[in-house]
Amino acid sequence: MTDFLDNFLDDYFAEAEEHLAVIRRALLTLEHSVGQRRIDGGVLEELFRSFHSLKGIAGMVDHRETEALAHELESYLRALREGDVILTTGGMDLLIKGAGALEASIAARRAKGPARDTGVVVEEIQSLITRDGTSQPAAKPESRGRGNWLCTFTPSPALIARGVNVDVVRSRLREIGEIITAAPMVNAQGSVAFQFEVSAAVSDELIERWQPDGLHFTPIAPGGAPGARAGADDRSGSILSSGHYVRVDLARLDELMRMIGNLVILRSRLTDTLARSERHMPPGQYREVQDDAEAIERELRELREGVMRIRLVPVGEIFRRMPFVVRDLARDSGRSVNVVLSGQDTKIDKFLVERMMDPVLHLVRNAVSHGIETPVERGAAGKPPAATIRLSASASGETVVIEIADDGRGIDVDKVTARAKQAGLPVPSGTIDAVALLELISAPGFSTRDASDRVSGRGFGMNVVRETLQELGGTMQVETHPGEGTRFIIELPLTLAIAAAMLARVGDQIFAVPQAAVREVAEFEAASIRAMQGAEVVEFRGAPLPVVRLSTALNVAPSDATRFHAFIIGSGAAAVGLLVDRIVGHREIVVRTTADPLIRVEGVSGATDLGDGRAVLILDAGAIARQARDRHGRRGLTVVRGIA
Amino acid sequence: MTTDNYILFTVAGTSYALPSQDVAHVEMVDQVTRVPNAPAFVDGVVFSRGQVVPAINMRARFGFERAALDVSSRLLVVQSKGRSVGLLVDSCREFMNVPQSSIHPPGEALSGLSAQYVDGMASVGNRLIVVLSLERLLGSTEHAVATRPREQASGEGHGYTETRN
Repeated sequence: MTDFLDNFLDDYFAEAEEHLAVIRRALLTLEHSVGQRRIDGGVLEELFRSFHSLKGIAGMVDHRETEALAHELESYLRALREGDVILTTGGMDLLIKGAGALEASIAARRAKGPARDTGVVVEEIQSLITRDGTSQPAAKPESRGRGNWLCTFTPSPALIARGVNVDVVRSRLREIGEIITAAPMVNAQGSVAFQFEVSAAVSDELIERWQPDGLHFTPIAPGGAPGARAGADDRSGSILSSGHYVRVDLARLDELMRMIGNLVILRSRLTDTLARSERHMPPGQYREVQDDAEAIERELRELREGVMRIRLVPVGEIFRRMPFVVRDLARDSGRSVNVVLSGQDTKIDKFLVERMMDPVLHLVRNAVSHGIETPVERGAAGKPPAATIRLSASASGETVVIEIADDGRGIDVDKVTARAKQAGLPVPSGTIDAVALLELISAPGFSTRDASDRVSGRGFGMNVVRETLQELGGTMQVETHPGEGTRFIIELPLTLAIAAAMLARVGDQIFAVPQAAVREVAEFEAASIRAMQGAEVVEFRGAPLPVVRLSTALNVAPSDATRFHAFIIGSGAAAVGLLVDRIVGHREIVVRTTADPLIRVEGVSGATDLGDGRAVLILDAGAIARQARDRHGRRGLTVVRGIA
Repeated sequence: MTTDNYILFTVAGTSYALPSQDVAHVEMVDQVTRVPNAPAFVDGVVFSRGQVVPAINMRARFGFERAALDVSSRLLVVQSKGRSVGLLVDSCREFMNVPQSSIHPPGEALSGLSAQYVDGMASVGNRLIVVLSLERLLGSTEHAVATRPREQASGEGHGYTETRN
């Protein structure tokens, strides 16, 4: 059972994220319908289906508190749709609060934190439905009578050996009721599962009896939209498993990138061989092969770019969250703010979207709590009482520009300087220009508000914004005019130099080794390493494999490990094993080159930040292996001469 | 009278100054990642504002014993000819305006490794400050790289108190 859940969890989070995105967007539209009797049916339907789907998938992974809350939100929407209740301001607030609680609950589960209690919101919604209307709350998901169920069947070789296959499951389901929909799905691990929505009488006993056969049931509330099926919502605009879109696991794209990396290496090997064979070939023939090799290189580059483009997602994923943040923050601080979004369809690497969420969130929060005046102050300054925050994105060439602009009071340079001095930060003499200003507000330890402030309370200051940007290879500028407002301009690369890498410990240091260079990983006993012809070798697949201790190659104090992990670089006679103490992980890294002559050393190709701000060196495993091969080769030659 | 703004820092008890326009920023430093086979006076690399910069240990550069990093240790990230290089110093606390007229050529009295990087000596109030030339400081490191042996002996330990030259 646990394995089954684990298999599904990643899918669950990804799918929940998509439903939440739809919900956020639909709620923004719905807000205009407060107090009206006729509400845009499309929006209601969209919200209803998203809550319904969320409830379904939450049930599938046994995430009860989310399931209960989604269920209650769905009930309220049903009442709205049936016209039983009118959408009040209180109802709207509760919907937003409910959506927020759903998000928090899912996030808590994802972070493996303690479960969020959604009971309070659930009760609030229940009382709202009884107060505002007459409709009956939908039956609890615990009811086990005849009703709609989501049934998932995950086949396995063991099950098939026992004769339990999808056809058997289908006929079993037909026996107990009616199959409404059926669809195959692929989970994150790449295995196939089948999902059925059935209308049937499913008893607890039946659920238990069929569980060992890979069948899992989740109730869907009676009256749920027929055909509304978890995972199928072709209207959200994001990458989904229906219509013209496929949902792709990022890990699979990485796998593709790794294969392309291998091709690149193979191709360069081909070029080397060609160069060596030139004098043995007729010139015409050589040129033909050479042309083909170059064509392969071009295609490879395009293939690589094509795969990188698959990773691009709309910036809107960041933006859509902001109106909610602003809404809450503005209400709490007695400000009135409109959020205007533009260029949401601008596409950017998925990885960048994830990393940019917090910085943009911070700049937007800053704009509300520092930039924007109270309506009274704005009135006195001759401005409209409601302030405007503009979030825009645009692509220009290989960069994406994101702007966060407010029409607030602007940054008070004198106040910033005074504050910086008070915080003990060095303040340059003379006039403070925009660059120096940004420098000051981005300095660690700078904050113009009390610790009690909601923004600084998050522990995410301007310095983290800037560090994140720089880590991503982006830049930030600020423009501010007293009384007119502030604009932050962020420039980011469209894609990143991202590589899949293995992390290995050597002595007391961690190094990253790009996966593209590694053919295989192996483990050896220290005792199995033998000296042979002046080099060290181990037996690997029945042949001696020269090995290099990275502790020696990198001048790191060797450990007294009794077992080593090894990266096997190259193949056949050219194979070399690089010995490390332990392989400690595997992750995507952002590659930063080490360009300065002081640190340009052989065997080190760059550095990366694993998130704690410390530099981790990226090793050029190929170069280290090559050096070792050369040394070994020379020694081998000497021995041959000696025999001759 | 022309006055230039300088940033002041200390290395092994002496006050040094660099023109503040050469210093991109100053930051706290708690850990330097060692780079194998780098020049002896380079402690390693640090991430500074998303950039990988080498950290030159100024004590080692000037021929003093290394000292462990502490709360007053700072990394001055300096920029010269498109390069960004970090200088590890004992402390760095102030900016100062120094009139050109109070900077004198270094006397014969100044000796030691640091002498070749000195632009002049400034006396401000009762303090004596050594004004450095960034160009020479970094230029000489390029030379150091060019003459560095390709491979150092293996099994060598590492640490701040060790001198490797």
